[in-house]
Amino acid sequence: MSGGNGNGSVRVGVFICHCGGNIADVVDVEAAAQAAARMPGVAFSSTHMFCCSDPGQAMIVQAIRDHGLNRVVVAACSPSLHEATFRRAAAHAGLNPFLCLHANIREQVSWVVRDRAQATRKAVRLIRAAVARSAHLAPLERRRLPIRPSVLVIGGGVAGLTAARDLASRGIEVTLIESSPFLGGRLAQLYRIYPTGQFARDVLNRLIREVAGHPKVKIYTNAQLWSSEGFIGDFRTTVRLIPRGVTEEPADLQAVLDACPEEAVDQFNLGLAKRKAIYRPYDGCYPPLPAIDWRTCTRCGACVEAAGGRGIQLDQEPEQIEIRSGAIVLAVGLDTYPLRHGEYGYGKFPEVITLAQLNRLLDPTGPTGGRVEIRGRPVRRVGFLHCVGSLQRKGVHPPMRDGRINEYCSRVCCTTTMHTAAELKSRFPELQVYDFHEHIRTYGRKHENYYDRVCEQGVVFIRFDPARPPRVESDPKGEWPLVVRTVDRLTSGEELEVPLDLLVLATGLVARDMKRLIDLYRCSVGPDRFLLEVHPKLRPVELASSGLFLAGSVQGPMDIAEATAAAAAAASKAAALVCAGSIELDPYVARVDETRCSGCRICLQACPFGAIARREETRQAVVNEALCMGCGTCAALCPCNAIQQCGFDDRQIGAELEALLAPEPELAAVSSQEAFDGKAQGR
Amino acid sequence: MSANSRKRIAVFWASSCGGCDISLLEIGPRLLDVAAAADIVFWPCATDFKYHDVEKLPDGSIDVCLFNGGVRNSEQHEVALLLRRKSRVLVAYGACAADGGIPALANLVSRRAILDAVYHANLSTDNPAATEPRPLCAAPAGELHLPEFYGQVYRLCDVVDVDHVLPGCPPQAERVWETLKALLDGQAPEAGADGRVGCSPRTVCDECPREKKLVRVEAFRRHHEFRPEPGWCLLEQGLLCMGPATRGGCGALCIRADMRCEGCYGPPAGVADQGASMIGALSGVLDPASEEKAYALVSQIPDPAGTFYRFSLPSGLLKARRQDGGNP
Amino acid sequence: MERRREDRQDGGSGWEPRIIGFLCQWCSYTGADNAGTARIQYPPNVDVIKVMCSGRVDPELVLAALARGADGVLVLGCHPGDCHYISGNHKTMVRMPLVRSVLRDFGIEEGRFRHDWVSAAEGEKFARVVAEMTEEVRRLGPLRWPQRLQESGFRTCAAPAPCGEAVR
Repeated sequence: MSGGNGNGSVRVGVFICHCGGNIADVVDVEAAAQAAARMPGVAFSSTHMFCCSDPGQAMIVQAIRDHGLNRVVVAACSPSLHEATFRRAAAHAGLNPFLCLHANIREQVSWVVRDRAQATRKAVRLIRAAVARSAHLAPLERRRLPIRPSVLVIGGGVAGLTAARDLASRGIEVTLIESSPFLGGRLAQLYRIYPTGQFARDVLNRLIREVAGHPKVKIYTNAQLWSSEGFIGDFRTTVRLIPRGVTEEPADLQAVLDACPEEAVDQFNLGLAKRKAIYRPYDGCYPPLPAIDWRTCTRCGACVEAAGGRGIQLDQEPEQIEIRSGAIVLAVGLDTYPLRHGEYGYGKFPEVITLAQLNRLLDPTGPTGGRVEIRGRPVRRVGFLHCVGSLQRKGVHPPMRDGRINEYCSRVCCTTTMHTAAELKSRFPELQVYDFHEHIRTYGRKHENYYDRVCEQGVVFIRFDPARPPRVESDPKGEWPLVVRTVDRLTSGEELEVPLDLLVLATGLVARDMKRLIDLYRCSVGPDRFLLEVHPKLRPVELASSGLFLAGSVQGPMDIAEATAAAAAAASKAAALVCAGSIELDPYVARVDETRCSGCRICLQACPFGAIARREETRQAVVNEALCMGCGTCAALCPCNAIQQCGFDDRQIGAELEALLAPEPELAAVSSQEAFDGKAQGR
Repeated sequence: MSANSRKRIAVFWASSCGGCDISLLEIGPRLLDVAAAADIVFWPCATDFKYHDVEKLPDGSIDVCLFNGGVRNSEQHEVALLLRRKSRVLVAYGACAADGGIPALANLVSRRAILDAVYHANLSTDNPAATEPRPLCAAPAGELHLPEFYGQVYRLCDVVDVDHVLPGCPPQAERVWETLKALLDGQAPEAGADGRVGCSPRTVCDECPREKKLVRVEAFRRHHEFRPEPGWCLLEQGLLCMGPATRGGCGALCIRADMRCEGCYGPPAGVADQGASMIGALSGVLDPASEEKAYALVSQIPDPAGTFYRFSLPSGLLKARRQDGGNP
Repeated sequence: MERRREDRQDGGSGWEPRIIGFLCQWCSYTGADNAGTARIQYPPNVDVIKVMCSGRVDPELVLAALARGADGVLVLGCHPGDCHYISGNHKTMVRMPLVRSVLRDFGIEEGRFRHDWVSAAEGEKFARVVAEMTEEVRRLGPLRWPQRLQESGFRTCAAPAPCGEAVR
């Protein structure tokens, strides 16, 4: 007997593992080995107590040599455990490792089927299928791609800066691009940060110093992602650099700012102030040069005149540059929940602000010089409202513009609220503070301390019913600007009316609009619209598209500490990749049979990785193997069967299918006496 | 074509519409070349030979037999066996002989249901005695024989061995001529990897003049609902064009006339199942946001099997609906 | 020695449902392993064919399984949005309803074909799906498609997928 389909020289060796008793206690491994010996193409079959052990592997190597085996089927545990082991053993004996197949008779047989006869029959079926499939295997080579030793970091917030610093400190060339004119992201807008109580600016400045001063780092601000080509090892990203307008620090900056006649809402201060068209978000920002906001600037030239005609250019054109890198770290961060007009009184009452806005007010360098006041009115009673835009429920919360609601917890708002309330109470002890919450999740190390502290400081906690969130109204008596009406579940569901001067909404965090990024790099997106890692535990900072790493809150709500940790993880993963010099990829790529391809281009559209293009001369599909991730989707949907996936082609899967469905031969009952006694059966 | 050794050709029409005979006439004045080179020994639609005339011919004496139509009853089966015996080269000519064609869509209903529809539950049928045709019945004049109505429609290759398969509904006259000429010259016609002749090794998309915009299909539309934009892929416009899953050879005739391809040339070379092939292709151009939307999109396809297997049901993997019902 | 157990195939007393399961390597196959690690017992009737992504499951494979004697086919992939290959399972998500619509026309009961999503962590769900499917197919009885085709006189081709139809 020989393996079918013209492959007359197929000689399969079947090795069945006892796995101690894990398999052999349920599966009659000796009967299975005898059945295997009779299968077409099988030249040798044997069992071993532990195939994965050194003696077990040695037996496989020996059998391959002694019996001239050119296919190996190991029936053992799940391939996720030892497929690599047995492939290595096969390679050790001079066999192409991809001529070795695994039949999973432990996780999917002996551990889940109690009946010995049933389990043995199933094991034999799976072995027969693997043997049948093995006849159609062809040697495959892992693809080896050179990796350019440089990394592009997209995003200049705390995560991007951390990743850039860590990469540069390993001697890797880093290009950091930031879409706004200044580095720092959301960290720059914070005041004090938990759990250390440090000033956010101090942390940020130290980080920027380390990055900006590093010889391996190149920074581009005002840099917009334009297009991307290439793949892991050699990404070619085109970036459009918007001119800053200011090329040299003006001698008298204040005079230049005063000269500008155009005002805009100060986004850095979250709409709490105005700024000029030429501006700097705060003193000590990086880069220190002011920038021009082109959407506001009318190019009147007043600033140029005030600067004495030097250092300001209003007619610069955008410039495009190409950045080549071996890997890319995505650190574009997130957004705060977009409040609707009138949501909890926001936009309707000036006394309703967000937690982020309160942080700006608390900052002594902020728009009010650190005073908490609304329209110049001092504040006596403050309320905090949790979970605005988080933990939303269908039917209770109206959907956002894209029709969705945020069902997740934004994680950072509870501790930020406690931390900010503590700050308020310690700076303004006479303030009365109320906290409206559904839950309080101060989950991190030392976070609970803030909760304890505000409890001691006399903050009043009111627990609302999520099905009936608090309502914010004006005070009918006119004594207070606001009244919050809610039930309090901490008492007996009593209806409360809490008059306030100021209501602070702890708004949740949402994914940014990353359409361009997602399209350019074909990122996986989770149901929460944040980018999705390959596996939350096994590969937590990698995207499915090879060579792309996730740093920080692009992946979901994180606080500064978590974003920093994630960025460090992404940096070390990216460093490990680019430092390796080259990378091996699975050989399960798609191949196009040009005699069959009719150029319908359905595969082009369907490939999740954009790995298929059309060769114009022939109008046929061609796979870029460096981009192909080996899912086989194109092979399944090619209407001409012109695309085959190496290692999973139609003949291989077809042979497996047919063997599984073949009539089952009667198994010879093997009594323990006439068992092999561990002896191999060769022929 | 050499005239010195006169050939014999036969043409037969089994379970089909007759379009294939017309297509043969469509080769035009070249029919005279055929007549010059060969005797037509059997062509029920054009000549007056009977079955017994064919029976009298020596076995293997017909050089080329173009057999069109599938096999639905015992008469067609008998003639298929007869012509196989008498012919040196037997060609499954046209979609019905090659892949079952439209008549084979009857394999989606049971024999019983067909008889009911034709002889009983039919507004235009008046049959109070509930008479049905039977293969054998006694009459005053003696026993009457009728061909037996089979349970399924078969392809020609299901009942006899076939030398060449020439698909198409109908096969294009040019392709017919090329094939016939080669056969009369005693040469093997140019065949694809799967032995089919008179067709392209590629699919209709290869011959289609329309371009793709590489956009997703959001909804299916039908011809009466709109006028397709010229120059743009019909499938991308929401028409269920079978072009990607259909053997080329026609030159994308229907598509050039703004009509979607219905799949008459059968499955592409190397493809076992035209319907599965089209389903695969569709899954690449549809992109519903959710499973519910996927089902909603699929529900817009009237008569899925009839659409995906319009010409090739018995050539597919499943071939016929199960006759014992099933309870879907 | 190799006495065929035709009775098992033909729905005789010893008949057992034969179900082919196509599982993607990243989620569902790992989910099945997970069921094993947790020692969750389930019927042995689903034989697993591993593919890298459920997007690889060609509709032809589903039909071929039934045409070659499977009583049911199960296709499992990562949950929508969790695909290791970004959107491979989206193709499955639309392909399988199409397959289902065709199977209905062939008189094949809905219960013989199931596609579902099983994550790497959902060992229990995997075991449940297998148990439910096996029970359902057992209730429906043997499908016997190869025998049906043979009895009704069709010729079938031998090679599984890229079969040039039998031409002499």
